Amino acid sequence: MKVKVVTNILVANERIAAENKKIFEEAGVYVINIMSGPGAGKTSLLERTIRETDGKIRIGVIEGDIAGTDDAERIENLGIPVVQINTGGACHLDANMIREVMNELPLKDLDILFVENVGNLVCPAEFKLGEDMKIMLLSIAEGHDKPLKYPLMFQESSALLLNKIDLLPYTNADLGKIKQDSLSLNPKLNIFDISCKTGEGIGEWVKWLTALIKK
Amino acid sequence: MHEVSIAQGLLDIAIENCKKGGYKGIELIKVKIGKASGVMPDSLLFAFEAMKVGTIAEKAVLVIDEIPVSGVCNECKSNFSVDDAYVTSCPKCGHMSLTIETGRELNIDEMEVF
Repeated sequence: MKVKVVTNILVANERIAAENKKIFEEAGVYVINIMSGPGAGKTSLLERTIRETDGKIRIGVIEGDIAGTDDAERIENLGIPVVQINTGGACHLDANMIREVMNELPLKDLDILFVENVGNLVCPAEFKLGEDMKIMLLSIAEGHDKPLKYPLMFQESSALLLNKIDLLPYTNADLGKIKQDSLSLNPKLNIFDISCKTGEGIGEWVKWLTALIKK
Repeated sequence: MHEVSIAQGLLDIAIENCKKGGYKGIELIKVKIGKASGVMPDSLLFAFEAMKVGTIAEKAVLVIDEIPVSGVCNECKSNFSVDDAYVTSCPKCGHMSLTIETGRELNIDEMEVF
């Protein structure tokens, strides 16, 4: 006998993500899912953002990595509430992983919760976590071909932070092409040129972030 | 890259629907997988064959209907449908602002039960 089902296979993840979003909303915390390839500077961005906001925005962090606690320790050293998820091999975070650790953070005492996804330009864009916004980080040394090679992540993100801008003179990366291709894929993308090493552009990014949560 | 969790998700949904309807087992599951969904059909079939063992879907055949990426160009307004996994510019005018309508599906469509 034939039975019509017509259900999204990721329905379980989507349902948990919707529940997470509700819990975050009730706690009054804005959740940002940070995605990038490995080594683009996600943890460095968090460190810079925490220093720049200097307690004016109350920040919490969920760190996602395949293994290890190095990133969480870097955040903890700054006196910020942080919890580490080790996916044990999985290439992305999913909504249930967030659900299992969210209560270890003082959600009601936070303005922004950053979720640092596993370093990977593909799968993290597919799985909702219950976030308000996805952003992505691309270090310019990764090359100007990335937007057209990994379009989904650029299409899903609200902001693109181009990190390691201080390395520009030493690479063949065409900054104009990165921006042009990214905006073609996603005309609403907010782009920031930053260097987590020198601090360039961090002020602009934090200004944008501050305006965002005041809305 | 995450075909095992997709296979598990589709088995869970199919088995739940089968039991809810009061049937004994599943013979066939038909899924619609968009070409831009990031799911590789061969890997999904492989994962499905391994994971169905010992369930009421043990004898089930997985049939994958691949959905091409299609949509409308925001510039020249023409409709397009391509065989590639991603489309970044309009095949007709080359403009890059597109509205994608199909190609990201990840759905169970129907199944045959006994």
